[in-house]
Amino acid sequence: MAAIEIRDLTKRFGALVAVDHLSFDVEAGTVVGFLGPNGAGKTTTLRMLLGLVTPSSGTATINSHRYVDLPTPTRVVGAVLESSNFHPGRTARNHLRVAALAAGIERSRVDVALDVVELTRDADRRVGGFSLGMRQRLGLATALLGDPGVLILDEPANGLDPEGVRWLRTLLRGLAEEGTTVLVSSHILAEVAQTVDSVVILDRGHLVTQSSVADLTNHRDQVVRIVTPRAAELRVALLAEKATVRKTAPDTLQVSGATGEQIGLLAAGLGVPIFESSTVTSNLEDVFFQLTHSEATEVVR
Amino acid sequence: MTRLIRTELFKLTSTRSYAGMVAAAGGITALVTILTASRAGSHHGHMVVPPLYTFNGLHDVLTRTGPALILAMVFGAVIASGEFRFGTATGTYLATPKRTRVLAAKSVAGLVSGATIGGIGAAVATTVGLAFVHAHGYPTMISGISMTRYALGCVLAGALLGAAGVAVGSLIRSQLVASVSLFAFGFVVEEIIGGLYNGAAPYLPFTAATTLAGAHPVGGVAALPFAAATALVAAVAVAIAVLASRTTVRQDIT
Repeated sequence: MAAIEIRDLTKRFGALVAVDHLSFDVEAGTVVGFLGPNGAGKTTTLRMLLGLVTPSSGTATINSHRYVDLPTPTRVVGAVLESSNFHPGRTARNHLRVAALAAGIERSRVDVALDVVELTRDADRRVGGFSLGMRQRLGLATALLGDPGVLILDEPANGLDPEGVRWLRTLLRGLAEEGTTVLVSSHILAEVAQTVDSVVILDRGHLVTQSSVADLTNHRDQVVRIVTPRAAELRVALLAEKATVRKTAPDTLQVSGATGEQIGLLAAGLGVPIFESSTVTSNLEDVFFQLTHSEATEVVR
Repeated sequence: MTRLIRTELFKLTSTRSYAGMVAAAGGITALVTILTASRAGSHHGHMVVPPLYTFNGLHDVLTRTGPALILAMVFGAVIASGEFRFGTATGTYLATPKRTRVLAAKSVAGLVSGATIGGIGAAVATTVGLAFVHAHGYPTMISGISMTRYALGCVLAGALLGAAGVAVGSLIRSQLVASVSLFAFGFVVEEIIGGLYNGAAPYLPFTAATTLAGAHPVGGVAALPFAAATALVAAVAVAIAVLASRTTVRQDIT
């Protein structure tokens, strides 16, 4: 069952089409990475899902309801959108009390949320003195306040140190194991690869692909590396079989579009010796760049 | 709705800005009324400032609550536009997606904060006025009932202006622009319009609010009756709030 359904969602800002007929689902109890280069439309999509931005057309629902129609939205959905959405003169504890009071959440949850994000010691400090990482944790505490079944996080790892990133990964996996649905946008691709079950990749407002991480990296772009003294002869034979072949060294080929077994049989038939055969699996980052045609500098800040 | 109002009131008390604004209202009112009381009975060319032992002299001091009322209105604007200055509107609308309910709750917070600021202004003006009168051994030429009426009028005017400020702050999301606009409107625009067209002065919203607190419009024209002035200021606050709810309040939070 889909916890989040995006259907034909479009948002235009004047002549600019930020999100263009976007459709995808997020299954309940999964952690889904929402990826795309800057300007791809990720934040706009999340804000439409949360009722903060009105779609030009299409629908975005959570548990089959528009966010604005949820009777107690923050008990159903927790969201972290920006790390700066705090009054600098308010303490962390009072920020959470405001959020709890507005949502009708018991005051006792404030201390629980502070404890989960490890901010109890700094609870009575004003947020203006917090680091970016502490603000991210406070944002997460706000999102977790209502113990929601769905979490929507926009770049939650921003500002976290490596220990914080590891903490976030553990937290998200723990929440997923408890059945929480998580949609998390990020440009830290390596981090997403270790955290999510599947990814939705967006580019220029369009859906590029939705797939599990394993499918995306193992099947989509499997490359076989072959070391042979007769590379030129084997290359011609592979090209004839419609495989894609790249010669990376005088005795080394990188082949896609054929499995190691198929290459081995072809080489045996030709009497070509193979000294080494290994599968080179693309990582998510490679696939991401390939799918969005992005330069690294556009994506990795 | 009660919960939302409690939330907005808690927001007021959980930062220092509200206490700061109340203190500023008290301080400025004290400064203005002390200056007015000090000048009472003095001569400026052919002009004589009414002395404190006259009705007009004491009245001038007791009704110098205009600066506090301006601050009540400005703080109302801060309540609404501050959400955009600090980006907290996102969290507010996530908790309460029906935005007109948020506007209504903020208006009540504006009423409460404005009433408090108006009350502080009235209390300070009355204290200063009576202190000067007693210090000089003058008779008190204004009855206790009238002084109470000025004070309650100031509380009411502060409340209505606080709500009007919330409406303006919702319409103009920039806190700086909203605040400067209100100061300019109260201290400059209405003064100019009232000075040029004396007959229009009682119908200007800030002037009408000050007349609730006992002040007289410029040009010596008669103030609107209490109920009419109340209705005028309330109508202006509601009209701006309706305009905001149909325009800026609906805008995307990007």
